[in-house]
Amino acid sequence: MTSDTLTDSTEFRTIPLGINGEVFPSGVNAALRRPLAPESKPVGLVERVTLLPAWKPTRFKVPTFSLTFAAGLEFVPPKPAKEEEAGELFQVQAPAPLISMPTGGDAPPPTKKKATRLKPPPEALSIEDRLFYVLQPPLESFLRGQELVMPFEPFPYQYEGIAWLFSQTAALLADEMGLGKTMQTITAIRLLLRSGQVRRILLICPKPLIPNWQREFKTWAEEIPVTVMEGDGARRRMLWNMPGVPVLIANYELMTRDMEEMPEAERPKFDLLVLDDAQRVKNRGSRTAETARGINRRRAWALTGTPIENRPEEMSSLFEFLQVIPPEGTPDVRQLMNLSSRFVLRRTKNLVMTDLPPRFDRDEYLLLNPAQQHAYNAAEKEGIIQLNEMGDSITIQHVFELVLRLKQISNYDPLTGESAKMDRLMADMEEIAASGGKAILFSQWTKCIDWIKLKMDEKLPEAGSLVYHGGVPTKQREPILKQFKEDPNSHLLLMSYGTGAVGLNLQFAGYVFLFDRWWNPAVEDQAINRAHRIGQKTQVIVTKFISKDTVEEKIDKVLNEKRELFAQILGGGEQTNASLSLNASEIFGLFDLKARAGKGVKSIAPPKAA
Amino acid sequence: MAETGKSDGLRLGFLTSLSLGERGFVGGLLVTNHMGRPLEFQCTAPVRPNRTQEILYGPTLGPFLLGDVIGRTLIEKATVKPTLVLVEVPQLLELRAQTSIPIACLESTDLKAEDAVRFPADALRLRLGMQSLVFASDFEDDLEAIRGKANLVPKEADLSEPFGRVRDALQETVAANAA
Repeated sequence: MTSDTLTDSTEFRTIPLGINGEVFPSGVNAALRRPLAPESKPVGLVERVTLLPAWKPTRFKVPTFSLTFAAGLEFVPPKPAKEEEAGELFQVQAPAPLISMPTGGDAPPPTKKKATRLKPPPEALSIEDRLFYVLQPPLESFLRGQELVMPFEPFPYQYEGIAWLFSQTAALLADEMGLGKTMQTITAIRLLLRSGQVRRILLICPKPLIPNWQREFKTWAEEIPVTVMEGDGARRRMLWNMPGVPVLIANYELMTRDMEEMPEAERPKFDLLVLDDAQRVKNRGSRTAETARGINRRRAWALTGTPIENRPEEMSSLFEFLQVIPPEGTPDVRQLMNLSSRFVLRRTKNLVMTDLPPRFDRDEYLLLNPAQQHAYNAAEKEGIIQLNEMGDSITIQHVFELVLRLKQISNYDPLTGESAKMDRLMADMEEIAASGGKAILFSQWTKCIDWIKLKMDEKLPEAGSLVYHGGVPTKQREPILKQFKEDPNSHLLLMSYGTGAVGLNLQFAGYVFLFDRWWNPAVEDQAINRAHRIGQKTQVIVTKFISKDTVEEKIDKVLNEKRELFAQILGGGEQTNASLSLNASEIFGLFDLKARAGKGVKSIAPPKAA
Repeated sequence: MAETGKSDGLRLGFLTSLSLGERGFVGGLLVTNHMGRPLEFQCTAPVRPNRTQEILYGPTLGPFLLGDVIGRTLIEKATVKPTLVLVEVPQLLELRAQTSIPIACLESTDLKAEDAVRFPADALRLRLGMQSLVFASDFEDDLEAIRGKANLVPKEADLSEPFGRVRDALQETVAANAA
């Protein structure tokens, strides 16, 4: 409709509008009595009339946020291992087979498996940091049969451990021995290297464990070059700062010495520092602990199956190494619990390894042989008299020496060679050797180990005894382990707690003998777990020899009473190896030691700690 | 980035969105290599339609926002260009008309499920990893181009999984902005 048509079609009429006017008293006529005469004329409209709004779809301008991921390190694929080389590996066998790959068109499609997702750590505040973790693929698909070939399928709890380590800048992995701390650490390192998060890693471990780490790296991350810190000073200086070395392994002693000698400006920087057997830094005032704390790093992980061996303060030292408490910080028990929940991951076999063959502990209380008993009584009587004669000048060292002497006699009488433990061991080993089994034996003394070896070779040569202790040169140790594993005629490996208790994989041995007892059950458990670990196919029978009515029985009783004292710090689960060793008061208490002072009698034992 | 320069590789883009109720939608695109390793992530600020758009687009508003607005923007802004963009909603296949990158939709593995995505029997299908993909009709060349690289993706790869990662990442960004 236009303005023209509007005008044309309009009809106009004159309408008489009779308005009655009234005359007010003032004489004013209020209205004019004249008709309205409206007129019309065409008026052009200013604009054309439009009834639709002027709208058409427009494109939004949307702000966006982007995140680009760093490229990881590319490694040269490893050459396929020769069959004979592969046979040398101590491989950890996992129960679950790798996911099957359908080959034919009719094969059923693979089913979805459990996914372990990486979680951003609580301290990751920036959105970029958090998204980095959220957007990573589940570990299972990351690892399994894809870019990172795993020789065996990890257990679900191991996936969790790997994911946890990957996210932590400070971590104390305190899994019980035998749960695969090494494998979890190597795989987490592998993922960090692959994702470009780290490029230089320093791993510190006890010297005897270096071959073990090399072997495990070869098994779990064959493509990662591993360099061991060794050689003379010049070579080591070169190695410390050599670029392009993703993983550097050094022992504690070399690390301490070289770092102390190096000017601060020349000290190397690492993206990740890993301490294996981290209880080595439990004494925060030690040179080792101070040096380890001073190493320049962006991330720090500590590995130990026994985060507390004696005192809660040891945890403080570990947390100080991890730089999660200030220097010389002394958190109380509640604070330690909070720190543990955030920075410590600890799983026990009871919780996670429901399919690990059981371990049977057998405490063998043996009566000493007559000659042995005679020697024991004489030594005890003489020792106590001497201690009492010393009066107030007695120290714990004096008592300790007596304990050691009595423990040695409980093992065997040096004069006559009589030994109730040896008799029992001989009987057990005869049966084990006949059935083709393998056993490992631990003792506190290398001298005792050599004596057992002598006796076994003499009376039971078919046991094929081998010796592995600190007196054996390092180069000869690996061949001994290899022989024990592969030689069907080798049935017994005699080891010292100090050398054989940590890091070795002896899961093909079904029997463990503790010929004498260590002061701390944590060390005993470490020793037992050489055999009772992942890959063990049969039950493990642990025989602990305890000479009846001797100091051994008393020590055993005290230690058993103290096993759960630190459970609250480390949280739930059965703390089978977080326990105390004997303190001074308890060592004094092993004997009914009294010192005469005037008329009365007073105990020479120091007062118990509050 | 090592992956960006490779023209012969297979980079997968996973495009999805998250409804924020009255605050609109956010969209995310995760570009991964053929093994699912992330290369780049792009996401949008919340996009909220006005009342006119709600009335005029009606039931097509969702696909319009996710496709024309969010999807197209994200694909254009990606510096690591995907070889194939995967979506979960069939309507988003129309996005193919606005980009040169092949688009494919994941077909539901459980077709009996209520929310199963169903396509005609003669749709352009390709099996990739554990999933069946459906390509936009009229783009047969896309299917052939991707078929040549399909062997790069492991058969056990679950292509629906990265969408969960994108949704989690979008939740993180929304939470970060709300804080």
